[in-house]
Amino acid sequence: MAIHFNGRQIPIQEGDTVASALYRAGQRIFTRSFKYHRPRGLLCCAGNCPNCLMNVDGIPNVRTCITPARAGMAVKHQNARPSLDFDYLAIAQRFDWMMPVGWYYKHFTNPRMWHLAEAQIRKVAGLGEAPPPDAPEAVYEHAHMQAGVAVIGGGEAGLKAAREAAEQGERVVVVDDQPRGVVPADSKFSLLSRSYCFGFYEGNLLGVLQSEPHSGARERLVHLRAKRVVVATGAYEAPLTFKNNDLPGIMLSTAVWRLIHRHGIQPGTSAVIISNELGDSNIAAELRNVGIAVVASVPPSDVLEATGGKHVTGLRTSRGNYACDLVVTCGHRIPDAGLLSQAGAKLRWSAEAGAFVPVEFPPNVTAVGDVLGAGLKAAAMLPAPAETTNKRTFVCLCNDVTTQDLSDSVAEGFDHIELLKRYTTATMGPCQGRMCQLQAIGICARETRRSIPETGVTTSRPPNPGVTLGALGGARHHPIRRTPMHHQHADLGAVWMDMGDWKRPRYYKSAQTERECVQQEYAAVRQAVGVIDVSTLGKLSLKGRDSGKLLDKVYTSRFSDLKPGRVRYAMLCDEAGIMLDDGTISRQADHEFFITTTTGNLDFVEQWLEWWLAGAGWDAQVNNLTSALAAVNLAGPKARDVLSALTDCKLSNDAFPYMACRSANVAGVPALLMRIGFVGETGWEIHYPAESGEHLWSALMDTGRTYGIRPFGVEAQRLLRLEKRHVIVGVDTDALTNPYEAGMGWVVKHDKNDFIGKFALGKLQGAPAQQSLVGFTMSANEIPEDGAAILVNGALAGRVTSARYSPAVQKAIGLGWVTTAAAEGASVEVRVAGRPVKATVTQHVFYDPEGARLRM
Amino acid sequence: MSFLLACPECGERSAYEFRFGGEVKSRPQQGDSEEAWFQYIYTKANEAGEQEEWWFHRNGCRKWFQALRDTRTNTVIATWKPE
Repeated sequence: MAIHFNGRQIPIQEGDTVASALYRAGQRIFTRSFKYHRPRGLLCCAGNCPNCLMNVDGIPNVRTCITPARAGMAVKHQNARPSLDFDYLAIAQRFDWMMPVGWYYKHFTNPRMWHLAEAQIRKVAGLGEAPPPDAPEAVYEHAHMQAGVAVIGGGEAGLKAAREAAEQGERVVVVDDQPRGVVPADSKFSLLSRSYCFGFYEGNLLGVLQSEPHSGARERLVHLRAKRVVVATGAYEAPLTFKNNDLPGIMLSTAVWRLIHRHGIQPGTSAVIISNELGDSNIAAELRNVGIAVVASVPPSDVLEATGGKHVTGLRTSRGNYACDLVVTCGHRIPDAGLLSQAGAKLRWSAEAGAFVPVEFPPNVTAVGDVLGAGLKAAAMLPAPAETTNKRTFVCLCNDVTTQDLSDSVAEGFDHIELLKRYTTATMGPCQGRMCQLQAIGICARETRRSIPETGVTTSRPPNPGVTLGALGGARHHPIRRTPMHHQHADLGAVWMDMGDWKRPRYYKSAQTERECVQQEYAAVRQAVGVIDVSTLGKLSLKGRDSGKLLDKVYTSRFSDLKPGRVRYAMLCDEAGIMLDDGTISRQADHEFFITTTTGNLDFVEQWLEWWLAGAGWDAQVNNLTSALAAVNLAGPKARDVLSALTDCKLSNDAFPYMACRSANVAGVPALLMRIGFVGETGWEIHYPAESGEHLWSALMDTGRTYGIRPFGVEAQRLLRLEKRHVIVGVDTDALTNPYEAGMGWVVKHDKNDFIGKFALGKLQGAPAQQSLVGFTMSANEIPEDGAAILVNGALAGRVTSARYSPAVQKAIGLGWVTTAAAEGASVEVRVAGRPVKATVTQHVFYDPEGARLRM
Repeated sequence: MSFLLACPECGERSAYEFRFGGEVKSRPQQGDSEEAWFQYIYTKANEAGEQEEWWFHRNGCRKWFQALRDTRTNTVIATWKPE
């Protein structure tokens, strides 16, 4: 049983953390500091300080002191070159005179200089490095939980509160950062072990990060919603301030306790205890019990400095000098009240506790135990006296901020605690002020000659502690919608494209190049027959006596007078007259309509209709049938031949004219047939139950074989419709397009009393257009890209929205916006591959302008 | 933003289940002044305080309802079906 540390095998024992295993194996330096690369060793052993951050299994900045060791783990040090024990970057300490507080702002006043320096600074300063893009990806997941009572912290007070609440019949969830087994499991409540709460959000929503919820996931982010929250986060111990207080071998008393009792480690051989509690204190007895000689106990006020290079070797005090290899500090215990502060509780200074304690809780939030601050006693002089101001007394261990830095900042005018925080970055590192906040406030108070309560406390914001970005991102999964005929398309060689969540065949691989494939599909539709899966269209049924009234109000044209068995083009505009969506509406019966929307706008249209219905008191029900129905468009001169072989429905021009709809069986499947022509040929859009999707498709393909049927994809459809100059909302239009500018004013029926957009469209009707959508034919056989610039007399005048090579015109054609009213036949230039190419404006439809082929 | 909203059909749910539909406004009549239409189409009161607004229960009953919310605290004071 071992972990790998920088390539070395480190044996591990039951109950070990990564840090305890390394410490037992003799490792004393765990990190190098942010700025000066000073050696740092275990300090808190509780996940509260930055001194043990390492890269574990490729994840940077892992708090190794609370990460259970598992055989085979790969552990690497961070921010030290070449090793933790010898780091040549420690030379930075010699240049501390170059790096006063705020030195970025003082030195890098020239932007060019900053760009040069930034790359170098990034290499030598900081924490771990983000995993490279090709690193194997860890699995993260999200979960949602509800609780009557959430208890944050599984200590004595937390568990007591949890049991009491559970006995009152509440559903209780306990969140605790210790491994399962340290906190006694209890059938009365649910326990989230190895979890910490990093944020308190509105509505009692708690952000909880759980490590290794199961073997398949590295972390799980739990969205825990509780009716009542009990905060039992306790208190943590803060370090003391004296010169060289950051040397390895100087530890908090609670850390020493953990090493001895949790891990069976003797943390040193001879120790000095710094404590106000002199004489034979508890910690002295603990040390002696494991065979550590207690050299001396001294009060914090007597300490002058610690000595040593890479590890503490002694302590100089006003009472004398002591040689030792362990210094145990008994500092303030500070209520861990960040979460309560986020919840809205106030923090009030308590001189007795020597800390800010939470008061005035919001409703449904309470606290129990040490976090309330009762029973805590001030352990050292606060603020630290001015004599302790120097460049080797560290307040913020995360970002290497010293007592000197804090004093200097106040002298420079950054004398408000929030300003001081931002200028020095004290409290802004990974520990989020746990180790340094109190001392920083103390020094600010001393230097500004204010009291500590007057100085105040900085704001705690989530996430605290930090959260991996992977956990916030969660599982990598993207929903995919497939049409009922998806697998048939795959068998036919579909090349897919994404349309929102949908997969649609872009074209079918029948030849070498996409262009050849599309040309073949195009030719089938124009000369024989083609079929396209249009199941992704939004499909809504509208029923009720007031259905026509609703459609008249919401759409620009009139539908109340549409006869059953007829179809009409439909356009939606908003109150500002902007085109939102288009589709068709067919009337199946007096009180029954069928609406299609574009693929991407279904949700919007459904909500838009529901919105205008809300509170209107009308008898109309909207039903979303998109997933319930499959749909195909069968089009081409031979479409009637194919379809008539599969249905009894009369398909002649007299019996089933253009823009009519019928209900009939096709290949034995009940279907709604609409004779419409998006692609410009005689054709039927057939809507039928999704479960028969494959059956009807097969029937069409089988029957159509003798007529030369081909399936066609979105690309061919876009070419076919472009020749017909049919606009695609969202492709040829944008969030500023109104129907008049798009050349579709005919679809607005101003003789209706009222409809959405009537006022604005009335204004726009006669107004000079700011821009207009025009067709164009390229002079050379070059196809501009979508979005290419349109030039008039060399000046930018618009842009291309769609362009393709048209077999019918035998030239490249397109649609685009131009700012000036470009007359029929006007000459413009379109930029292709950076060069202007001549093009001629036309308002005519490129193919079959009379629409004769639709009515054949 | 993680407050709860009580849908009149489905009960109290996370705000993430809903689509926000903006302030409740009354729509002018055809024939009203251009100023009235301009205000209706383009301006918002953007109240710092209690505001009546539209919400759509996208991940639930898929119906619109109205709510009175304090925009400063995200406290939802009441919700109701529109009349």
